[in-house]
Amino acid sequence: MKLTRLLHHNESYLFLIIVVFSAVITVVNPVFFSLENLFDLLRSSAGTTILAVGVFIVLLSGGIDVSITAIAICCQYIAITTLISSGLDNLPLVFLISIAIGISLGAINGVLIGVFKLPTLITTLGTSSLFHGLLLEFVGTRSINTGDLPESIKEFGKATILSISRGDGTQYGLSVFVPIVAVTLLVTWGILRYTMVGRGIHSLGGNIEAARRTGYNVTFIQFFIYCYSGILAGIAGILHLSLIRYSNPNYLVGTELNIIAAVVLGGTRITGGRGTMTGTILGVALITILQKNLVLMGLSSYWQEFFVGLIIVLGVSITHLQGKFESRKRPTGDGSVA
Amino acid sequence: MKVNIIKEQLGTVIREHPKNLILLMLLVLILILLTVAIPDRFLTRVNLESMAFQLPEFGLLALAMMLAMITGGIDLSVVSIANLAGVVAAKILTSEALASSGLSIPLAVVVVFILSAVCGLLNGTLIAVIGVPAILATLGSQGLLLGIAILLTKGHGISGFPDSFMVVGGGSLLGIPIPFLLFLSMAAVVGMILSRTRQGFCMYMVGTNPVVARFSGISNRRVIINTYLMTAILAGLASLIMISRVNSIRPGYGAAYLLQAILVVVLGGVDPKGGFGSVPGVVMGLFILQLTRSGLNILSFSPFFKKFIWGSALLGIMLLNVLVHRYGEFRRAKAVAKSQVLGEEDEQVSQRTR
Repeated sequence: MKLTRLLHHNESYLFLIIVVFSAVITVVNPVFFSLENLFDLLRSSAGTTILAVGVFIVLLSGGIDVSITAIAICCQYIAITTLISSGLDNLPLVFLISIAIGISLGAINGVLIGVFKLPTLITTLGTSSLFHGLLLEFVGTRSINTGDLPESIKEFGKATILSISRGDGTQYGLSVFVPIVAVTLLVTWGILRYTMVGRGIHSLGGNIEAARRTGYNVTFIQFFIYCYSGILAGIAGILHLSLIRYSNPNYLVGTELNIIAAVVLGGTRITGGRGTMTGTILGVALITILQKNLVLMGLSSYWQEFFVGLIIVLGVSITHLQGKFESRKRPTGDGSVA
Repeated sequence: MKVNIIKEQLGTVIREHPKNLILLMLLVLILILLTVAIPDRFLTRVNLESMAFQLPEFGLLALAMMLAMITGGIDLSVVSIANLAGVVAAKILTSEALASSGLSIPLAVVVVFILSAVCGLLNGTLIAVIGVPAILATLGSQGLLLGIAILLTKGHGISGFPDSFMVVGGGSLLGIPIPFLLFLSMAAVVGMILSRTRQGFCMYMVGTNPVVARFSGISNRRVIINTYLMTAILAGLASLIMISRVNSIRPGYGAAYLLQAILVVVLGGVDPKGGFGSVPGVVMGLFILQLTRSGLNILSFSPFFKKFIWGSALLGIMLLNVLVHRYGEFRRAKAVAKSQVLGEEDEQVSQRTR
């Protein structure tokens, strides 16, 4: 009974694919199957996961956000340059500045989409170019090297909450990023499940007009969504900075389509209303494993773009074929418009 | 009294073609502004010629984007299609074995069109047969096709094509650059398809309301596949001009064209939701973008500032469209309310003035 129900979930298939894929990599290169590599994967995918959660919420509401990476890099670069020029060395302050910038940039998206009802793709395409252009023109184009970073950031990147010693006495551990990601996921899950706004986000994605007539404040909910994804972009920006201990105002921008792809692979409908957090996490896991481990399999990095594209094309085709068959089974199917 | 008549007639013109008129005024305004701001270097023969060489590549991509948007879709893969086609054409053009036979140029052209048609069929099948939303399908094929292009070249660029091939992107006929002539003829062809053929009419119908179109006996599937086929072939032609103009190709070249193509199409009055848009509007949008780009180049603004300008222009145009639309609705609502209140009185007044 339970098993058949599991078979109807997109997540189960995705999980299966990840398991098979991991098994294949392990056969080719046993290095993959180790706690250390797992911890490393968790640490390096932390920023992407948080960005994916932001994209997920936007997709769930029936929109799309391609500006989230531009916001993240603006947050990161402005926060770190402010900190360096002020001479302070304070981790909470960096997060605070970054999140504040994230909220303000997100609010611009929110006003354009919520108040003026502009189409989300075009709006965020525009703001992405606007934010990034402003950053490069008025804040700076120089990258910040590890040597110039405040100590607290570098420490934060290396900090662990659990450390295990290797055979030779050196240590590796579970990064402090992991609990941050966990809290973010939990808070988002809570908002989506237990608050009026969360219910509204689902409802908006299902049918925006129906949501309005039910009494949801559509303008406010849309404003909230883009501010929230701005906050997430702010957090992700600092995690990314602490991870690579280097800040280049041209990083991150251009990865937004991969993040959207990860979320969509996780089963979130791009037309909104349907999707789960578990699916999002699994989608990010699949894309991250694919990107990080092609080299472990002995394939050069040129294959990366090709494989990610292939996975997206196959993934979305399968999901939509499934949807088509399901709607054909039902007598009053609605999925066969095209 | 006469002023009133003029006002009324102007009103009808604006009401019937509001966007194109606004565009024309914007075009003239920018032209005047730039000519006044940079008198000695803007309206010169050299600058006009260089603009006519720069415009066609992304002009063709914008026409392609317009076709997809009219049917309510979007094609994020146009630049990738152009990249892949360009890389394959470059491989053929630089191949040693073919160079002596003299067949390399016709072969490259034929292969580019076949290859781009295949890419278009892939997009069309994903969207129309499998039912993947256009944005997702083309997002996937964008990565896939670019990935293939990168695999073919291992990430390097290819350059050094036969001299006779340079005519496509660098030659002139009667003083007019050949790529510009190619662009104009394609714009005319696309315009004819949209306004004079069954396919064009069906594209507007599908874009306005796919369900109604299907129940009116239109084969949405065939219309959409044809649309993405045309889109891809335009991208293929763009790739030929692109590689011939710069005499090299690198996977990822022209990634910035994607945003600019969408910007131009939206600027040109195409509704991203589908069903509306015309070639004259998009061509005017293209001229506006090209004039601005050239002006910013002469004034030596940084590429970052241009990025900022494109982003804000896109948002500004969208906002303006919304505000004009809302104002129109507000006026209509007021007019309706007025005619309801003063129904009889209004009729008497209008009789007297007649």
